[in-house]
Amino acid sequence: MLESRSITKKFGSKTAVDQVTVRFEPGHIYAVLGPNGSGKTTWMKMAAGLIKPTSGEVLFDGKPVNIESRKHIAYMSTEPYFYTWMTARDVGRYYEDFFEDFSYATYKRLLERMELTEDMKTSALSSGMMAKLKIAVTLARDAMVYMLDEPFNGIDLLARDEIRQTILERADESKVLLLSSHLVEEMEAIADKAVFIRKGQLVDQVDLEQLRTEKGISMADRYREIYGHEGAQA
Amino acid sequence: MIKLMKYEFRKTLFVKLIVLGAMALAEIAFLVGLWGDKERTLSLSILLLTFIALGGIMIIGLASVVILHRDVSTRQSYMLFMTPNSSTTILGAKLLENGLSIVMAGACFFALGALDITLLFAKMGQLEDLWQMIMSFLHSINQEITLDLPVMLSLMISILGNWISTVTAMYLGVVVANALLNGKRFSGFLSFIIIVILLWAVSWIQMQAADIKASIQTVFLIDAGIALLASLVMYIVTAQIMERKLSV
Repeated sequence: MLESRSITKKFGSKTAVDQVTVRFEPGHIYAVLGPNGSGKTTWMKMAAGLIKPTSGEVLFDGKPVNIESRKHIAYMSTEPYFYTWMTARDVGRYYEDFFEDFSYATYKRLLERMELTEDMKTSALSSGMMAKLKIAVTLARDAMVYMLDEPFNGIDLLARDEIRQTILERADESKVLLLSSHLVEEMEAIADKAVFIRKGQLVDQVDLEQLRTEKGISMADRYREIYGHEGAQA
Repeated sequence: MIKLMKYEFRKTLFVKLIVLGAMALAEIAFLVGLWGDKERTLSLSILLLTFIALGGIMIIGLASVVILHRDVSTRQSYMLFMTPNSSTTILGAKLLENGLSIVMAGACFFALGALDITLLFAKMGQLEDLWQMIMSFLHSINQEITLDLPVMLSLMISILGNWISTVTAMYLGVVVANALLNGKRFSGFLSFIIIVILLWAVSWIQMQAADIKASIQTVFLIDAGIALLASLVMYIVTAQIMERKLSV
């Protein structure tokens, strides 16, 4: 459903993503792992069509990502991106205006669940509340692909449980969920497959059940094997 | 497109309200000066009204350039470029909303000016005589010069058309700086040079067209036509650069 073919992104002399070829199939939750600066965010932004690749391509249902694919790919950036004049209600109305798969009723339910109210100004939200708002508005879409960049950043333990539950409820056989994070233990409880990126390159793509049964190791163990001291620092 | 325009309007609403508020205050001062026979207040308010009318139109245009800069260079850009809209539609909505705002503000200020002049003449009959004298003087210098309503209207259309082309040139400069020169040294300066060259090219074409022997009214309208045509060309080029090269 979603794949990248030899995709590369350079910023000046720095290569952020280097010849990454990877394919994501529906019915799975993928953990996209790597230390900070490994290229996870850049890859996701290219898949969302926000960043133009230097070379290579990202395909959605066999076609290069374009305006049409934005109707089916729900991307949540790690940084806050709402207009500062907006309330949570405005954010929902905005998504409702532009995404046919957005349900305002679902959004309201998710807001309540996250203990947010519609009249909250986005400019006055704490980082944790902002993270919850981004999750709520993104998951209120009935998209085919969800890409959540660092969904647990800045969120306390109890809210993490809530978010994890909400994400799991969204998963089904027809959807692809990509979750990037450097919080490996957190991801282990959600994902069934994992992609490891290091210095812009794809290092490994594993089925977590297979990893556990065949090699007897967890995702965190594999993470330690790949990144070692570099990963511990992240 | 309409939905995008709605949000573009919302983004510049604060600036527009400030301009409108300032205009309303100046108008109140004008009416107080006129009906209270306070000459100082009256003259000051006329100066203010003229300044706000011209400055307000400029500010509305500049505000949209600042918003575009923010929309292509900060995280807020995701709000636009995540949606299933092409760069051509996104930029078109910005340009249309701003063009309409400029035209509507210009029309409002023009109507307000006409109303105020009428009130002024009604209250102070001698001013109308003075106006007639100025007109006769101008006419004696050059038979072509008249300041009747069609000429004033075509002058206003020309001013608005030229300002829209200036704003469009600034759009192009902002997009070139962010899409093609991003991260390069002097990108701001280079895009400024591009804007100056574009505006010079538009005014050069207008000067060539002005040689045509026609009434001053026609010259103003040709001026506006060229400016709007140049705006269209710059819009297409800007949208293409955004579509192919802009990363947010």
